[in-house]
Amino acid sequence: MRNAECGIMDELRKHLESIVGPEHLQVGDRAAEYAVDDRQPETVVFPETVEEVSAALAICHETRVAVVPWGGGTMMGLGNPPTRLSVVMVLTRLNKILDFEPADMTSTIQAGVNLDAYQEVLSRSGQFLALDPPRAERATIGGILASNASGPRRLRYGTARDLVIGARIVQADGVVTKAGAKVVKNVTGYDMNKLYVGSLGTLGVIVDASVRLHPIPPSRGTLLAAFGNVRSAQAAILRILDSPLVPSAVELIAPLAWAQVSRLSDLSAPGEGFVLAVEMASIQEAVAAQLAAARKICAEAGAAEVWAIETGKEKAFWRAVRDFQPDGEGGAILKASLLPGSLAQACLVGLRVADRTGLRLAVIAEAGTAVVRYFLAGDGPAEERDGRIAAAVSALREFAARSRGHLVLEAASARVKRSVDVWGPVGTSLPLMQRIKAAFDPRGILNPGRFAGGL
Amino acid sequence: MEREPLIRSLAEVVGPEHVISDPDELRVYEVDGLTMYRAVPDLVVLPKGTPQVAAVVRICAREGIPFVPRGAGTGLSGGALPLKGGVVIGLSRMDRILEVDYVNQRAVVEPGLVNLWLSNAVGPQGYCYAPDPSSQGACSLGGNVAENAGGPHCLKYGVTTNHVLGLEVVLPSGEVVELGGWSVDPPGYDLAGVFVGSEGTFGIVTRIVVRLLKRPEAVKTMLLVFETIEDASATVSGIIGRGIVPAAIEMMDRLSIEAVEKGMQAGYPRDAGAVLLVELDGPRAEVEALVGSVIEVGRDMRLREVRIARDEAERTRLWKGRKGAFAAMGQISPAYYVQDGVIPRTQLLRILGEIEALSRRHGLRVANVFHAGDGNLHPLILYDNRVEGEAEKAEQLGAEIMKRCIAAGGSITGEHGVGFEKRDFMPLMYTPADLEAMLRLKRVWNPDGLCNPGKIFPVAKSCVEVGRAGRVQPSGSAPHRIEREGLGERY
Repeated sequence: MRNAECGIMDELRKHLESIVGPEHLQVGDRAAEYAVDDRQPETVVFPETVEEVSAALAICHETRVAVVPWGGGTMMGLGNPPTRLSVVMVLTRLNKILDFEPADMTSTIQAGVNLDAYQEVLSRSGQFLALDPPRAERATIGGILASNASGPRRLRYGTARDLVIGARIVQADGVVTKAGAKVVKNVTGYDMNKLYVGSLGTLGVIVDASVRLHPIPPSRGTLLAAFGNVRSAQAAILRILDSPLVPSAVELIAPLAWAQVSRLSDLSAPGEGFVLAVEMASIQEAVAAQLAAARKICAEAGAAEVWAIETGKEKAFWRAVRDFQPDGEGGAILKASLLPGSLAQACLVGLRVADRTGLRLAVIAEAGTAVVRYFLAGDGPAEERDGRIAAAVSALREFAARSRGHLVLEAASARVKRSVDVWGPVGTSLPLMQRIKAAFDPRGILNPGRFAGGL
Repeated sequence: MEREPLIRSLAEVVGPEHVISDPDELRVYEVDGLTMYRAVPDLVVLPKGTPQVAAVVRICAREGIPFVPRGAGTGLSGGALPLKGGVVIGLSRMDRILEVDYVNQRAVVEPGLVNLWLSNAVGPQGYCYAPDPSSQGACSLGGNVAENAGGPHCLKYGVTTNHVLGLEVVLPSGEVVELGGWSVDPPGYDLAGVFVGSEGTFGIVTRIVVRLLKRPEAVKTMLLVFETIEDASATVSGIIGRGIVPAAIEMMDRLSIEAVEKGMQAGYPRDAGAVLLVELDGPRAEVEALVGSVIEVGRDMRLREVRIARDEAERTRLWKGRKGAFAAMGQISPAYYVQDGVIPRTQLLRILGEIEALSRRHGLRVANVFHAGDGNLHPLILYDNRVEGEAEKAEQLGAEIMKRCIAAGGSITGEHGVGFEKRDFMPLMYTPADLEAMLRLKRVWNPDGLCNPGKIFPVAKSCVEVGRAGRVQPSGSAPHRIEREGLGERY
């Protein structure tokens, strides 16, 4: 770096230090822990209050340096490598539950609140936040919202877009604004929550959010059904979706994925083939009745085996499903949004592509919402393997587009990300998105280049 | 542009028979559901198909003419009022269901399609479209998108935005864009999510991709009768406290019951202090068990009587009372002004008490009909529009109610939108910085401000807005030509 730049960065660091305190600022090697893809920040700050976030952003804005907000780091693999990066702002010290009124079933929490810890508090009043993204033991609310991370139960409860009722945002220039309200029914002005959720921190930094909660169902049960071929599994899925059954989750787990999931959850009746997992949650009689109905559907669709998960193993099973990762190093996670009617095809095409590119493929699909995750892994020298992964991404993205869907890279090496577009085509609304980005972050300091369309 | 050449240009796009320029015919479009105010457009066009909508918008954009999209005109916040005149673009001729995909539980519809007709169309296959505003027999899906409409069943199933996957939109520039899509989580900003509820200020929706829901296995509808609002309210808290999420919980007070029974004999007991209309739906085993739980809670709170609908006909009759409640106000008052404030459920009794006190102080009766489950109140302020000054008094009372809702930690509108009616109350809920962020977003979509001007945001008070060049006037009791000539009556 040139001397002038060093001078500016030194000044910035002094300012940030005066805002958060020297013990809450890291540089050098310690900052390297917060690399985003292959870019390392110069400075990492850990603000404690909204005022500190605001002041820190304001000075970064003035200095025109790039800032990456960071929560629990569980979804940092999502996004293009940043075009530039100076400061990582870690939000974990904003970790208070600001309010929780059980009788209203709403709550407001700071962005750094950990999801598992929050669920524990809510559970004491018989309630939960209906979000089940990966690695909930590390994930924070802010990061979950910014990445719109979700899990199998989105089938029944939706995602952050459906659960967030209000948010406080610090804009790129440090100004604090509020979106939504603390009540569920609110159409006062624009639904600004929808702007911030899922926008990967490119329009502002979420510092707190108000959410709607749900009562914890009195009883849960999970049924497993193993199918010899994926088309039969799809037939069962479609029949379940076309029935009045109200599952919390319907997951399709392909053979390679099933081997890993059953091993991690220590299931003693492993089954083989394409496994359908159906979770029901309600009062006990209704759980039993619905599981019985689902069992019948699976049997009629040709399941080789149908069985209930052993008591006590459900939590581990669903965690293994949610937290699934490709085996070995240097893999990739692809998320295809498709339609329930194309699930079987999605598995078959995936297996063909993996075969052609010499990669190992595990597939887990959230069948009801048709979110299909491809977990790719491969051996051999990294560069050559990355080339094969990139080819697989392109082929699968093409399939997704033909199926009226799309495909996003949720995790991959920086090299893979630079050779394929992480997000895929945005469509006719890209100019609108560009104008929105320009209006909300005119200096382009928030996560520059990481989002769709290079925003 | 002069009027005649403009009419010709528009006629070239939609056909001369679909351009309305006759003053008497234009007056049909001077009000929407907010009957207190009217504003006459210069012209009305009724396009068919996205290219026509885009072409009309391009003409308006080119000539700097304000334009206002209009669905069925049932909106309750004046959202379809052409405050600055210009062209009203009515979407009623675009009322087709373009595609239904039962396997993937999606449909594509045009904005002018009536809400209920969609559910009716997919009903035979066991599906429905969940958001059910009380006006669903008349309101349009495009209007629902603009307002992010709710309805009684949104307690369990969510509001319009939770059921919209994608939109085709004509931007105020005339450009056509796709927002969202056919599958979930499209890359980029959630522009479909941001567009829903933008009250026609971002552009005109010309196609909507919606989710369809499988109808539940069982439905049980009950009327719970109480001596007092307190008991009814405590029952709502008790139901929620047990972790039960009914499909709907609606409350009505004595005055609204009186109106409903006069109007349509829904079978509500006239001497009740309050009734709860509770609907449970879902798997049969669940519904049957929960009916018992709900009644148990009611009995703990001095439930006087419970009536369970035995069949679809009885269910419809119970709902008729609730859904026709607003219109039934005409039985007990020459005019009414409905509010839409939201409060946290825990504040319900306190706010109802405040509303009652305000009602006495202003000397106007207030009937309460509302979504008890989510704290979305609909105070119906009853007044006589023939008496000078009463409309203003009603408005003042409404403003007081809105302020109390905000003070209680709520919102000024849960379903009906800000529109023209509540724009001056925005600063009660949002700071200047909050509003500035919204305006910044609006400028991205609608940089020239021609698309539905004067809505949502407070306007600088100037003589331009008030009276003289501004179009909006109180409706008062000026009779329509049809009434004057004895050809019809207002009811």
